[in-house]
Amino acid sequence: MAANGEGAEPEARPQPSHPRPLRRTGDFLGKHRLSAAISRLNQEIQYLQVELDELETMEPSSAACKEVVLSMEGKSDALLPVTPGPENPAWHRWFRPVQSSHSRKWWTHKGSDVS
Amino acid sequence: MSFSELKDRHVAATAMVNTLRDRLNQKRQQLLDTDVAGYAKSQGRTAVNFSSTDLVCCRTLQGHTGKVYSLDWTPEKNRIVSASQDGRLIIWNALTSQKTHAIKLPCAWVMTCSFAPNGYSVACGGLDSECSIFNLNSQVDRDGNLPVSRVLTGHKGYVSSCEFVRDQDTRLITGSGDQTCVLWDVTTGQRISVFGGEFPSGHTSDVLSISINSSNSNMFVSGSCDATARLWDTRIASRAIRTYHGHHGDVNTVKFFPDGQRFGTGSDDGTCRLFDMRTGHQLQVYSQQQANNDQDVPIVTSIAFSISGRLLFAGYSNGDCYVWDTLLAEVRIIQLVH
Repeated sequence: MAANGEGAEPEARPQPSHPRPLRRTGDFLGKHRLSAAISRLNQEIQYLQVELDELETMEPSSAACKEVVLSMEGKSDALLPVTPGPENPAWHRWFRPVQSSHSRKWWTHKGSDVS
Repeated sequence: MSFSELKDRHVAATAMVNTLRDRLNQKRQQLLDTDVAGYAKSQGRTAVNFSSTDLVCCRTLQGHTGKVYSLDWTPEKNRIVSASQDGRLIIWNALTSQKTHAIKLPCAWVMTCSFAPNGYSVACGGLDSECSIFNLNSQVDRDGNLPVSRVLTGHKGYVSSCEFVRDQDTRLITGSGDQTCVLWDVTTGQRISVFGGEFPSGHTSDVLSISINSSNSNMFVSGSCDATARLWDTRIASRAIRTYHGHHGDVNTVKFFPDGQRFGTGSDDGTCRLFDMRTGHQLQVYSQQQANNDQDVPIVTSIAFSISGRLLFAGYSNGDCYVWDTLLAEVRIIQLVH
């Protein structure tokens, strides 16, 4: 951007008839920042328009909802009362008796009274 | 171009952005023909039923003397690192409940921690705006403290979240109060990529949480005080792949769904939501019903999915932990754990 702030680019509109205000450093910085902000906004506009176009051919949410339901089919999950998938033998290590110097409890199996 | 002409252009561009955003919101609303619960019910699915002997606490890990802000498991799921504002990281053998390391931190105000995939290192970060890496096999110093093996400096705000990239021990992603996320090379301490910041555009407020896609470690999501979540490709720092709108408050926590195609969020607005990564659709809202509206809705501070994704665990600011049926969007257990 030209340091003198005028004449660096062709003006889209005719000069105003009133005298120009005196140029100051603050104005130059202000114009620079404004230009940068406008560039960012223009870029944002482009991206938003791309996203709008995308939505024209996008499937509705029901397609993804169906995928969510299907993704859980047959998946093992130790935290569910009944696991939809195969039991993993490694889970049992969490329910074997554990004795440490800090613990006074013996945990025998999942069904024991632990409260 | 004169200053006033630039100002006019700025006003016009801003108005255009707002118009387009409104159109986008409307178009998205039109595409939401059902949510997950609506679809699941239409398929005859019913909610998970827990009995009193299901979901029993099998370990209580005691040792911290301050609030525990963060924890992470090793990939083998047998060890845990936890971070507390008592100024320590503790490494636990989760099977035996015993502590293997208690690491005194240079800065007590820790907010996040992560276990390296190889299980030999841990990372943490917080109000010091740095991410510290500790090698668990290093020699302790004269005071019995584990020395910091690497410090990742560069963020201009607090480090709210960090996560090692799962198939690479040398890479870590952080989220920060400086509105950016950063991909780091841990061996050199260098920033590989910065996601967001003034140039290029990204979150417009603090990043509070990140989650790396376990199915595709090139992708991660971030949650922010700007009420959005954003999806990033680590190979493309120039702009977020997608921005997810819906929450009405800070997005405190984000977590990928086990299938790697969806992710969950938790927010100051008291709700959790499930978003579809690819389309951007908001698939489900998990919202507590409030009997009396004059009470503040507790905010969601952290979430996690069970391994199949069927259960969504949500921690709230009032100390509750709810277990949601992800499919039916119903709370199945209200569990006061602390």
